[in-house]
Amino acid sequence: MLLSFEKVSLTYAPKHKILDEVSFTLPEGGFCFLTGTSGAGKSSLLRLIYQSDRPTGGQITLFGEPLTNKGDKKCAELRRKIGIVFQDFRLIPHLTAWENAALPLRLTDAGEDYIQRHTKELLEWVGIGDRMNALPTELSGGEQQRVAIARAVVTRPRLLLADEPTGNVDEDTALKLFHLFDELNKLGTAVILATHQSQMVEKFHKPALRLQNGRLASSKSFAA
Amino acid sequence: MSLPRHLFTPAFRHQHLGRSFAAIVGIMVFIASFAMAAEAILLTASYLWGQTMETRITVEIPAVGDESSMPQAERVKQATSVLRALPGVGLVMPLSDDEVERLLQPWFNNPDLLKALPLPTLIDIERKSGATLSATQIQAALKNVVSDARVDDHGAWTQDIWRLVRGLILLGGLTIALTAVTLIITVSLICRAVMAAEHETISLLHLLGAEDKDIARHFQMQAKCIARNAATLGFLIALAVTAALLFSTRHSADFSALQWNHWLGLSMTSLLIPISATFIAAITARISVMRLIKSFP
Repeated sequence: MLLSFEKVSLTYAPKHKILDEVSFTLPEGGFCFLTGTSGAGKSSLLRLIYQSDRPTGGQITLFGEPLTNKGDKKCAELRRKIGIVFQDFRLIPHLTAWENAALPLRLTDAGEDYIQRHTKELLEWVGIGDRMNALPTELSGGEQQRVAIARAVVTRPRLLLADEPTGNVDEDTALKLFHLFDELNKLGTAVILATHQSQMVEKFHKPALRLQNGRLASSKSFAA
Repeated sequence: MSLPRHLFTPAFRHQHLGRSFAAIVGIMVFIASFAMAAEAILLTASYLWGQTMETRITVEIPAVGDESSMPQAERVKQATSVLRALPGVGLVMPLSDDEVERLLQPWFNNPDLLKALPLPTLIDIERKSGATLSATQIQAALKNVVSDARVDDHGAWTQDIWRLVRGLILLGGLTIALTAVTLIITVSLICRAVMAAEHETISLLHLLGAEDKDIARHFQMQAKCIARNAATLGFLIALAVTAALLFSTRHSADFSALQWNHWLGLSMTSLLIPISATFIAAITARISVMRLIKSFP
């Protein structure tokens, strides 16, 4: 199993439970939507996976290892195996699309030739091969999100986390982006995609976890 | 690992933080280099001058007041003979009247007055290396020949000069140490401001899998680059100012004892300042970033 949540809770204040005994599993190469209204706890759940937050109860197992309070080095190693796509893209404004997308590779031992070639191929694949030297401010919302997706998968991570990736783009672009995530999944990357756009979830016949007030309200099986 | 060179450039440009950083390093290096150069010149010149002066003793034979006394030339001749016979005396050189007049010239406006005055005769004595001959011993030896002779041991008053030089060197050292402390504090504060401006980028780098040491190393590299350029400029300005000051005071201050190899040594010693400042700035930047980064998500 790639990821497992076992009665995971997250509490910020004694009476402010963000997640309440959430349990689910994600197999290697699986795809899972994470749905729920705004404030249901989707982003918090993702933050627990990429270790920006620590659970106050339960156990998370990722890549076969329990997520405990790891040190800086271990935490960084783990994060390099995960790709993250944010709603607000989080591109560095003074770096070009190419430089932004190549950034995670620069944190590895990859050689310059590989970085040049692979990033270029990936940007072409996400459909912005002709805008590689543009700054984020010169790109549309959809284009910026494509750069963010390229950055998230440039190191070929085993798990891709997307937090409302279509929240800042129009419906057509959102659909194209969903297809992009689907293609990535078919190439072997496990995906957890948090969204409140339930109509999109319906279009893709994929497993979905629905959060409501921090609890898992329903789930569509991975076998489905 | 090779993060883009300009990753933190906007942060350094934010509210001219980079310029402030460069200005602080440049000014501190200027002050410290200037203090170091002054110290080194003072120390070397004093040492060379002291080496010459410490072995010298001057005997003053006052001019005879009445004609019944022994002629001055005879008094000087006898005194010279006694002095040459003393153990530990290397060289005995009576100064001519012209030389004595030249020495007294600065204190007299009217040169004719000097001719009219009964001038003493001065005898310059050089002690042999390692000799312990004192002014009192010379005074005693001359007592029977020229009882009114006065002996002046330069070694005694060069000790006072040395004490003054040591005090000035200590003050210079303190100035350099204080500039180093000021540099550390200022660089640390500027780094905090830069980090605050680049909070988002650092958080993102963390989420992409960057370790604290990777971010700190990259930040240090950029800080080092700015510090190196600023330190070089500060050092060159200090060097130019020092050279200009030495040139403008060449008539009143005598640095003739300093040879080209001394000047080369002084320049090399002063070069330690910009190198140290660059090193201090880079290390301070790294430590500041490492400490601050712990609080980032």
